[in-house]
Amino acid sequence: MDALAEGMPMEGCATYGAPARDVIEIGGLYKRFGAVTALDGVDLTIRAGEFVAIMGPSGSGKTTLLNILSCLDTPSEGRYLLDGIETATLDGKAQAVVRREKIGLVFQQFHLIPYLSAVENVMLAQHYHSVADRDEAMAALERVGLGPRAQHLPSQLSGGEQQRACIARALINEPAIVLADEPTGNLDEKNEELVMALFQQLHAEGRTLVLVTHNPELGARTQRIIRLNHGRVEA
Amino acid sequence: MFFRILRQSFFEGRKRKILAATTVALAATLITALLDLSVDVGDKMAREMKSYGANIRVVPKSETVALEVGGIDYNPLKGRDYLDERDLPLIKDIFWRNNIVGLAPFLRTSVEAEGRAGQAVPLIGTYFDKSLPLPDDDTYRTGVTATNAFWAIEGAWPDDEKPEEVLLGRSLARALNLAPGATLRVQGTEGGPTPLRVTGLLTTGGAEDDAIVAPLALAQRLTGLSGRVQAVEVSALTVPENDLSNRARRDTEALSTAEYDVWYCTAYVSAIAHQIEEAVVNASARPIWQVAAGEGAIIGKIQLLMLVVTLAAFVSAAMGVSSLMNATIMERAREIGLMKALGAATWEIHMVFLGEAVIVGVIGGLIGCVAGTGLSQAVGLMVFGSTVSIPWIGVPVVVFLSAATALAGSIIPSRAIARLLPVEVLYGRR
Repeated sequence: MDALAEGMPMEGCATYGAPARDVIEIGGLYKRFGAVTALDGVDLTIRAGEFVAIMGPSGSGKTTLLNILSCLDTPSEGRYLLDGIETATLDGKAQAVVRREKIGLVFQQFHLIPYLSAVENVMLAQHYHSVADRDEAMAALERVGLGPRAQHLPSQLSGGEQQRACIARALINEPAIVLADEPTGNLDEKNEELVMALFQQLHAEGRTLVLVTHNPELGARTQRIIRLNHGRVEA
Repeated sequence: MFFRILRQSFFEGRKRKILAATTVALAATLITALLDLSVDVGDKMAREMKSYGANIRVVPKSETVALEVGGIDYNPLKGRDYLDERDLPLIKDIFWRNNIVGLAPFLRTSVEAEGRAGQAVPLIGTYFDKSLPLPDDDTYRTGVTATNAFWAIEGAWPDDEKPEEVLLGRSLARALNLAPGATLRVQGTEGGPTPLRVTGLLTTGGAEDDAIVAPLALAQRLTGLSGRVQAVEVSALTVPENDLSNRARRDTEALSTAEYDVWYCTAYVSAIAHQIEEAVVNASARPIWQVAAGEGAIIGKIQLLMLVVTLAAFVSAAMGVSSLMNATIMERAREIGLMKALGAATWEIHMVFLGEAVIVGVIGGLIGCVAGTGLSQAVGLMVFGSTVSIPWIGVPVVVFLSAATALAGSIIPSRAIARLLPVEVLYGRR
């Protein structure tokens, strides 16, 4: 973690051996909800292959920041470059394109379509990205250890299994960045460990991961922690 | 993948979809029944209307002015023009011959009746149910039983082949104190006294109530006008009059060739009358406008009423579907939000919901077709005493309209899809 904090890529990153490019570049970012300023001039950079935790107390703006990073929301002011694309000024349609092309999302509530099986949920992300490929979707599920449960509906899966299906879905389109919002918030200790191990494995493979959590233990297992307080990045 | 999503998602919110399909099915039932009936009702209603009398009257061309008071012809018979009884089959040989449901010739005279010395008693000669051999149908029977079904008889109809059998108008029978089975002697202008046997008493509410109604052959014998008839009343199935037929009624010369062809080849009462004039030499065929216009107006109004009810049914169904679809979209807001978060374009999500609406519409439409056909048959049996013919082209039309109704009802609620923000619905900030 210290090495990355210094701007050096770690072993296992996709850009190992070469200066890592910035996947996320944010400058002077504000988000206001009426009179409330949720993000107050945020500046940050996340490089390819980094595993970053965004932490902070409730109301610090971490979910708001993650929503903007996910292109689910737009900033009131400021600049947000995702993999070289200026997203701060994009309209809804263009944001949707960026989401399907560049971003993998992992939710605390999993958000799987209840009437589609695990593999179909993964294929759904493929469908909106390009073309659904069952074999690829199966491979993604096997990778997260869910091959034998691929045909099950979300209601037939445990919380940990649902989250792993969610991670497989996030990864299926080879996104530039995986953004996870409290991914272990609804899991027991065993499943939390499973999911975190999976994230660390992905990081080791060179994935860029951003994890929003309030759990210091999870934050400690990432490379870098960005702490937010009252909408500002703490020094 | 789209069809997989559609197939799987279709079974989500099953209760609402069953309700929506039921709503569409009810409308489709009504529409199918009305469609079946409206296609058949023109014909059935026209046949029903025929029971209220003929709608075309054929007279000799020279008989432009009728001296008829209270239904009794006061023109002297001698020196008048007549139609030839042998020309009657020609009326059933016109272009619209299949629409001629009946015809009845009339020869009116007056006789002296026993018991009413010095007073002329009207005698009307006609066909009751007489065989009229046609070139292509030697079993055709016609007469006042076909054209004047509203005539009420107490007793039996006379036999056309037995000239001594007659009907006696109820008022005349009361005056003569005669009942069915009685014998009445009459004296015509020709021949000697003739005994007649009363087979029944006739009530029409018209001049016939004071007359003797006899087989045409008897009237011809009593007047010495063998093979002659004064007028023929024709009952024809017609379509409601419109602007074209009204213009033709005023002056056929004013129509263009194309308009004339359309008018001639449509079963307007004026077109049928025109064709009768073409077929029967020296005849003038005139629509009885009170009857013809009444038929057209009633049938037109019934069909308009059906159209209004059909539209109302569709609008109601669309509103029902709209309400259910609105609730469905709200219920599945998170799913929509997730699809958007995964990068789905709004139209792709619309496709899922509108696709479901189309399936609901098709299912509702098919159920409605079956139920509506049953309903139309039941109505046909109850109202007209016979089943109605099923226009099979109506099935795809009703299914298509049902799908379109479900689709139309879903369009407004589905606009909410575009307004749903994933960040709000996924994080429950709505």
